[in-house]
Amino acid sequence: MKQHLGRQSGVQKVDVSLIDGKVDVTPKEDGQIDPAQLLKAVYDSGVTVAEMDVTARGKIVKDSSGNLALQISPNQSFAIAPNDLLKSVASLADSPAVVTVRGELYRKPAGKQKAAASAPLKLLILEVQKKE
Amino acid sequence: MNTRKLALLFLLGSVFVPVSQAQIKHIEMRVEGMT
Repeated sequence: MKQHLGRQSGVQKVDVSLIDGKVDVTPKEDGQIDPAQLLKAVYDSGVTVAEMDVTARGKIVKDSSGNLALQISPNQSFAIAPNDLLKSVASLADSPAVVTVRGELYRKPAGKQKAAASAPLKLLILEVQKKE
Repeated sequence: MNTRKLALLFLLGSVFVPVSQAQIKHIEMRVEGMT
């Protein structure tokens, strides 16, 4: 799985901890990494992802239907799931301010329901680290 | 001439740096079924 992930574009380093079942992915400085592609790569290697957390820096934007999203680049953004922390950054929507947040991008559905690796990823903000 | 070039470089730098710094910094996954 480590090799499988390491081959994905934008990946600089992959650390796997067999004891904790944790996989740390360090993106390249200037590379664009696609979390959905990483999820698929893990599934393809026969392992189930229970949870995926990301730390990302970007702008808060409003999409065409008025929902808030974290825009990482002109062609990469993640819809943000509503919670209390979203309220603290909602005022920055469509402003030039840049925020660094840590959030949950994927969690395996509870029970025996089959996880859909292709489901759209939604960011649940867990921590707002920086507002600039 | 050089001053003008430097000023232009500074201006472009200040415009593009915030965009280029927007990125995914770290990804952590908890996985099941790994041996």
